Amino acid sequence: MLNLIIGILLLATLAPKLEVTNNWVRPSSKDMNTAVYAVIKNNSDKADTLYSVSSNLAKVTEIHETYEKDGSMGMRKVDFIVIPAKKSFELKPGSHHIMLIKLNQDIQKGKKYELTYKFKRAGEIKVSAVANDKASGHGTH
Amino acid sequence: MKILKIFFHLQISIPLLLLISLSGCKSDFELNENLQGFSFTLSDQDGKTVKFTSDQKGKLIVVGFIFTHCPDICPLTVNNMQLVQKELKKEGIEGVEFLAITFDPERDSVKLLKKFSALREIDEKNFRFLTGPRKEIDSLMSVMRIVAVTGDTTMIDGSASYFYTHTDRISIIDQRGFLRTEYPGSKANIEEIVNDIKKLR
Repeated sequence: MLNLIIGILLLATLAPKLEVTNNWVRPSSKDMNTAVYAVIKNNSDKADTLYSVSSNLAKVTEIHETYEKDGSMGMRKVDFIVIPAKKSFELKPGSHHIMLIKLNQDIQKGKKYELTYKFKRAGEIKVSAVANDKASGHGTH
Repeated sequence: MKILKIFFHLQISIPLLLLISLSGCKSDFELNENLQGFSFTLSDQDGKTVKFTSDQKGKLIVVGFIFTHCPDICPLTVNNMQLVQKELKKEGIEGVEFLAITFDPERDSVKLLKKFSALREIDEKNFRFLTGPRKEIDSLMSVMRIVAVTGDTTMIDGSASYFYTHTDRISIIDQRGFLRTEYPGSKANIEEIVNDIKKLR
């Protein structure tokens, strides 16, 4: 029994405090823009803050959100995203995303691209995002 | 006598019901703006001249307004149009044209539209990206009640990289040039559009 408790405690300690999973980027071409999406899972018992994302893929990498106002859609930069303790936050189409402005290279379907997420507590997390033009439509899946 | 009465009643009511049900399909949709008289001169992704809507007369048009520098919303709209196109193809439904018109003609050249199309593996058989002179695009947007204003701007190497705040819409124009129905472009329900197209055919 003691071994089991120790095992569970050990696993809990080994589990990363913060994970960035389901990373994908929309295909685009050099000099254009695109967006990166992911799921950020905070396994710790303290909130964490995503304050920056860096990459060599574009001239500028920013955290953005898409918003709707009076029937129009727009985008704006946000300074940070707070991921509450034991919660997940999804960067998804039509919502928060990582914006790559003026790409240095083509983003080709099926290929992988490196980015670094920077968190206040968890520090830097390197991820690899797959280029994929995922569907948004409802009703055919 | 009673049988004759029922027969007479059926003779009148069946064709009447049939007429109501047939006309009911298309009358589910309002007759909005009439674009029949318009002939906006635009260019497609191959540089071919396209007159909107006179060139598409007799076909249903699925139209969306986009700008290719848009990273999040417009790709979703194009993706949704592409999903509708694939579904129609799967069901063997013809006579539908897909047009994605830019409201950013200063940046969206014919060459860039071609690249945008290739990147998304668009089946260009009945799907075209259109650009044109600013004046022509503005007139067309006004007729179709599309709004696009420059908003979020980032300075890169001394030049402005700008984005639009814009109407997010996919519209259907019928075979006679009437705007019939509209959907939120980036959040459209594919099944709903496909069903509406079937009713409007």
